[in-house]
Amino acid sequence: MCLLRLRDVSLGYGHRPVLEHVSLEIVRGEFVALLGPNGAGKTTLLRGIVGLIPLLAGALEYDLDRASSPLGYVPQRESLDPTFPLTVFEVVLMGTYARLGPLRRVGRQERALASRALDLVGLGALAGQRFASLSGGQTQRALIARALAARPEFLLLDEPTAGVDAEASAAIMAVLSRLNRDDGLTVLLVTHQLRLLHGLASAVFWVQDGRVTRRRVEDIGASAAAALGAPAGA
Amino acid sequence: MSTVLEVLRPGFLLRDAMVASILVGVVCPLVGVYFVLRRMIFLGVALPQLSAAGIAFSLLVHRTLIGPHLHGGASDAMMAQIGAIAFTLGGILTLAALERRGREIVEARIGMVYAIAGALTILFIAADPWGEAHIVNLLKGDLLAATESSLAFLAAVLGVVVVVLLAFQKEFLLVSFDRDLAVVFGKATTTWDTVLYVLCGITISFGVLAAGPLVTFGFLLAPPLTARLVTGRMLTFSIASAAIGGLTAFVGFCAAYRYDLPLGPAEVAVSSAVFLAVAGATRLQRALRLHPA
Repeated sequence: MCLLRLRDVSLGYGHRPVLEHVSLEIVRGEFVALLGPNGAGKTTLLRGIVGLIPLLAGALEYDLDRASSPLGYVPQRESLDPTFPLTVFEVVLMGTYARLGPLRRVGRQERALASRALDLVGLGALAGQRFASLSGGQTQRALIARALAARPEFLLLDEPTAGVDAEASAAIMAVLSRLNRDDGLTVLLVTHQLRLLHGLASAVFWVQDGRVTRRRVEDIGASAAAALGAPAGA
Repeated sequence: MSTVLEVLRPGFLLRDAMVASILVGVVCPLVGVYFVLRRMIFLGVALPQLSAAGIAFSLLVHRTLIGPHLHGGASDAMMAQIGAIAFTLGGILTLAALERRGREIVEARIGMVYAIAGALTILFIAADPWGEAHIVNLLKGDLLAATESSLAFLAAVLGVVVVVLLAFQKEFLLVSFDRDLAVVFGKATTTWDTVLYVLCGITISFGVLAAGPLVTFGFLLAPPLTARLVTGRMLTFSIASAAIGGLTAFVGFCAAYRYDLPLGPAEVAVSSAVFLAVAGATRLQRALRLHPA
C-alpha cells in the first residue's frame, strides 16, 4: 500500500528548480534511501517531501492524515543551535509537541513517551545530560528518539550518519533497522554512504543531474558508486 | 542591612518605585531569554531606542496637534505609551518580516534601526522645546515617579505577558530551537513568532516608559546571559533569569537609595557586576577542572 506518492514534482529555491519531473512511490513498511553525490539535491527532495520547501510543480500525496499521524523528522544535527540550555530529555520531549495543541501541557503520558523513545535508541541513561554535550552519534540517536516521540508511521532522516564514526553509524543503522523490522515503521533516509544500505534498504532513489530513479541497492553500479566516492559494493 | 530593612518597611516612601524596579527586573529577562537564545541581542539595544523615539514622537505630535503638554499630565503618559508601543511593535514586526526575506546582513539592518531611532529621538526632542525636560525624564525612565495607579497598570500588563509566555512556552521553544520541526508538525510558525515578538514589543515599550531604555536593555540581556552560564535546562534558565533580574533590581535599588545614586544606572551596574562575577567564576572553575592543582 502506497504511503507517499510524488507525481511529476519539481523542487528548488525561488523559481530555480534543482530537481524536475520527479515521480516516486514509497510503500508502507519500506526502508528506502535517497542516495546520490554531494549537491545532487537529496536534501532538497527530503525537505520538499516534509513540506519545508514548496513544490514548484507537480503533486505530493500522503496516504495518512498528517494532523493525526505526524511525520517523524530527523534534521541534520548541525542545523540545531548548541547554545540552547536543553537536556537530552527536553529535546526528545519536543517530539511529543506534534500531537499537543496550544494550551495543552506536557503531561505524564508525554514524559513516558519521551523516556520510552530514549530507551529505544539506547540513550535512557543520558536523559539528564546537556544535549549540546553529546557526541555526534549520540546526538543523532537523540534526534531519532525525538522523532519517535511523535509516534510516527513514517520516519524521514537527513544524513543521520554524516560526520559520525563507523561504530556510531552502525549503531544508528541498527536502531533504524530494528524500528523498520519490528515496528513496521516506514523509513526514508538521505545518505551518500552506500555501504550502510546493504541488507537494510529495499530500494534506493538515485538522485543525480536533477533526476531521480528507483534502483535496487545491489544494482548500484561501479560508476554510481564512484560518484559517491566509494567502491561498488562497499 | 539597615537599608534593606528600611526599604522593606511597609510605609516606605519609594515603595512603588521599588516594586516597579523589581517588576521590570523580573519580566524583561523572561523575554530576554528568547533574545539571547535566538541570537537577537542587538535587537535588545535597538528596540528600547526605538521605543524612546516613539515616546518623543508622540509628545511632539501632542504639542503640534493639541498644544503644549503638561508635565506629568495623564494625556502625556497616554501619548507616550501609545508612541512607545507603536514604534516598538512596528519596528520588531518589520524587522521580523525582513528577516524572513533575508538578503542583507541582519546585524546591519538592526544597527541602522538603532542609529535612525537614536537620531530621531534627539530630533523630536529638539523640535519640542515645551516639554524637553519632561521628555528627557521620560526617556531616562523615571522609576521614582511611579505612582500606585501606574504601578498597577504596569503590573497588570507585565502579568499578562508572563501568563502568555508560560501558556505558550512549548510553542515558543519549538519555533525558536527547531523551526523546521515546527513546520513539519504543522504548527503556525509565523503566528507564534508574531505573538512572541508582540510580547517582546509590549514588554520593551512598558519597560522603557517605566525605567528607560538603558535599564530595559540591561535587564533584557544581563540576567539571561548570567543564567545561561549556570543552568543546563530550559525551565531553570528562565526561572534563574527572572530571579537574577529581580534580585539585582532590588540590590541596585538599595544601593541607589543608600548612596544617593541614579536608580537606573545603579541597577544595571549591579546586574552587570553579577554577570562579570559569574562569568569569571565559571571560567575559573573550568580552568581548574582542566588543570587540577
